[in-house]
Amino acid sequence: MTPDDELACAAALVGLGGMTPVRLARLLDGHGPVTAWRAVAAGTHPADRAHRFRAEARTVEPSAVVQRYRAAKSRVLLPGRPGYPPALVGDPGAPAVLSASGDPSVLEARPAVAVVGTRSATRYGVRVASDLGRGLAEAGVVVVSGLASGIDAAAHAGALAAGPGAAPPVAVVGTGLDVVYPRENARLWAQVVDRGAVLSEAALGTPPRPRVFPARNRIIAGLSDVVVVVECHGRGGSLHTVEAAARRSIPVCAVPGAVHSPASVGTNGLLVDGCIPVRDVDDVLVALGMAGGAPTVSVPDHRAHARVDSGPSAPVDRLERVVWEAVGSEPTSIESVLLRTNLSLATLSGTADTLVRRGLLVEGAGWWSRT
Amino acid sequence: MIASIPSAVRLGVDGRPVRVEVHVANGLPGFTVVGLPDAAVRESRDRVRAAFASTGLPWPRRRITVNLAPSGIRKGGAGLDLPIAVGVLVASGAMAAESVAGHAFVGELGLDGSLRGVPGVLVLADALADFRLVVADEDGPEASLTGGTCLAAPSLTEVVARCTGRRPWPAIAAPDPAGAVAAGGHDHLGDLADVRGQLLARRALEVAATGGHHLLMVGPPGAGKTLLANRLPGILADLDPETSRTVTRIHSAAGETRSTTALVRRPPFRAPHHGLSAVAMIGGGSGGHRPGEIGLAHGGVLFLDELGEFPTAILDALRQPLEDGVVRISRGQGSTTCPARFLLVAAMNPCPCGVGGLPGACRCSPAARARYARRLSGPLLDRFDITLRIDRPAGAELVGRGAEESTSVVAERVAAARERARAREVRSNAELDVSSLDRHAPLDTRAAELLERRMRSGALSARGLHRVRRLARTVADLEGAPPTVGVRHVAEALTLRGSRALMLGEEAR
Repeated sequence: MTPDDELACAAALVGLGGMTPVRLARLLDGHGPVTAWRAVAAGTHPADRAHRFRAEARTVEPSAVVQRYRAAKSRVLLPGRPGYPPALVGDPGAPAVLSASGDPSVLEARPAVAVVGTRSATRYGVRVASDLGRGLAEAGVVVVSGLASGIDAAAHAGALAAGPGAAPPVAVVGTGLDVVYPRENARLWAQVVDRGAVLSEAALGTPPRPRVFPARNRIIAGLSDVVVVVECHGRGGSLHTVEAAARRSIPVCAVPGAVHSPASVGTNGLLVDGCIPVRDVDDVLVALGMAGGAPTVSVPDHRAHARVDSGPSAPVDRLERVVWEAVGSEPTSIESVLLRTNLSLATLSGTADTLVRRGLLVEGAGWWSRT
Repeated sequence: MIASIPSAVRLGVDGRPVRVEVHVANGLPGFTVVGLPDAAVRESRDRVRAAFASTGLPWPRRRITVNLAPSGIRKGGAGLDLPIAVGVLVASGAMAAESVAGHAFVGELGLDGSLRGVPGVLVLADALADFRLVVADEDGPEASLTGGTCLAAPSLTEVVARCTGRRPWPAIAAPDPAGAVAAGGHDHLGDLADVRGQLLARRALEVAATGGHHLLMVGPPGAGKTLLANRLPGILADLDPETSRTVTRIHSAAGETRSTTALVRRPPFRAPHHGLSAVAMIGGGSGGHRPGEIGLAHGGVLFLDELGEFPTAILDALRQPLEDGVVRISRGQGSTTCPARFLLVAAMNPCPCGVGGLPGACRCSPAARARYARRLSGPLLDRFDITLRIDRPAGAELVGRGAEESTSVVAERVAAARERARAREVRSNAELDVSSLDRHAPLDTRAAELLERRMRSGALSARGLHRVRRLARTVADLEGAPPTVGVRHVAEALTLRGSRALMLGEEAR
């Protein structure tokens, strides 16, 4: 019974049809992977009395399974063996078997912060997530996220944009390591593998299914010292992460958003419930205990904002000013701007175009917002 | 004895002359109809015989053969009842052939001998313009719209009495075909003054009505998309005499003019439900190529609510008529064309959850949104010159706003702008072809710069460029029609054109 046999048998168990994290944990509870595998194949495993897995187990050759992992440039991690994240050891929901692409040891001896949030993020959310990702990586903190679109992707992209010497990012995905989902993040995925690691508890080839993502979120929480929610709706996957973090007494931070923004309903609710508000990376570092907690209300900051309002880049023309003010600080629909300004559509369109060209407004699909 | 009575049947929006030949001969009493009759025509034997029995007209106890010539085309409808009855009377010698010379007959018989109208009598009358046409009383006004000689009677006995000169033909209260008043209008569709706010949509409707630009409204349920679309026909100009005649013919052929006694002068408004069949949309079917919704919308507005719910095959079938302005239907019975030049207005939700719109609001997964958007083919979406987002009116911003402009005010502006555009010799700006754009819609320097910038940034395709230029021409027409299109017109056109992202309810980053 070599260590390789153990990894092979563990991988084979994960790959059985109908396997779930809970069933896997029961099969491996108190048994080594090799023992468990043989018992399942023989039909004598006390946790598989119904012989759910016996038929398939008899047709699978563990060494072939591990070969497939090698072909996918990934490896199997078992608790107590090198590479398995130390933070998950002793975790009540720790996955019995993990697989990793890249180098999972980056999680060792570094603090980790989960930056998570909604897939349908606003520009604001994307910007904050990206800033946090970059700032945390530069401070030597591993950014953990889920490689979903929206906030997750922005956080990873921010962490990857940090300079050399920054901490590498780690992603925990719900699909198999050979199933890149969503496909638009394929490049980001490859970069995270390159610099850090992508982890998954699903077998190779597992497609994106709704139930894999909440389970994945508990691993994100378990790996992290602090969870930051950048933007989330009233209901959503990010709240699973928050719940998992709360159960593990991991501090949860939330980024405040506009009270009207649907994408901030969840985060603002978390703040009302007593989560730690986060404005920038310093706030997160304070929550991590890595910064002194100096007063962060800085007067110059306010002046900087005032400058944006009347500085040289602000609109000078009267008409431009009217339009810019009507757009306000949140994305505003064309209809609202028309109602607020009473301009004709031709005048408004022309003026808005000038403002867009001068970099003061951004045009979206049917709306404008300030940059 | 033999008799030959002129009549007509309808195929598509045209009447086809038919000769009803009746032969009465010695032999076993019987009654056969040959010459490709459909079920309704074959049943006419029973109606005709019953009508004779109940009115006391003599039924020949001999062998009766009815032939419908030309025998090659299939004949449908109950309009051949009357010519068959008259033919039997003439062939059996109960009526002199001279008394019906030069007459044509169209009408359905009741069992009691009363005469009923038939759908499409206007197109039948057109095909029988060389004859004195005898129709049912209720069809009199419609048939006389052709301007030909038209006679109407309430029953078979009256037809006999009047043809034989025992009683005179009373004059039909005929409407003047040229100056007939608007009928079948759509005042019930509401006035623009009832719509609060929606400034962008109001403007879009005005531009669409002026330039004939197809319009797509995207917005959540309850935002007022249907409310707005209903108000579009009100701001369209009256139909010109030629279109008016065509539209009346189409509506007659579809049997939609039964209560109408005048030419259709107002643009029609058709809003079919998405459960309709392809035949109901395009036209055709076994019933003599009845015009479909797109034919009935000719000269007016076709409104497709919940565009995403229409079967893809039906939507794709719209593409050819949208391009050509006519729809060709070929079936076993032959092939017909029906005019179908309409303003297409569609409404849809931005995504399955219906919210879409401003960033962060939609809860649909990108995959679900993409699936929803894929239901509409790109070529169809390309036909929409104007795409706009409609939101539920925000209460706070409407407070203190006075009443909005009424339909009549906007309609006047539209009519004035169309008048200015008339010199271009196309029906509408949306039909300006690419080669004449430089002549009819030259751009000033700043306008050209703006378009060039959009093209360089990839926001505008070459095809999109032409559409924006036509749209800008219309916007300029509404502002007094300067010969050169300015930057403000182009900027508005770009705003009205919207972007494909509007339909996906996604944020363009």
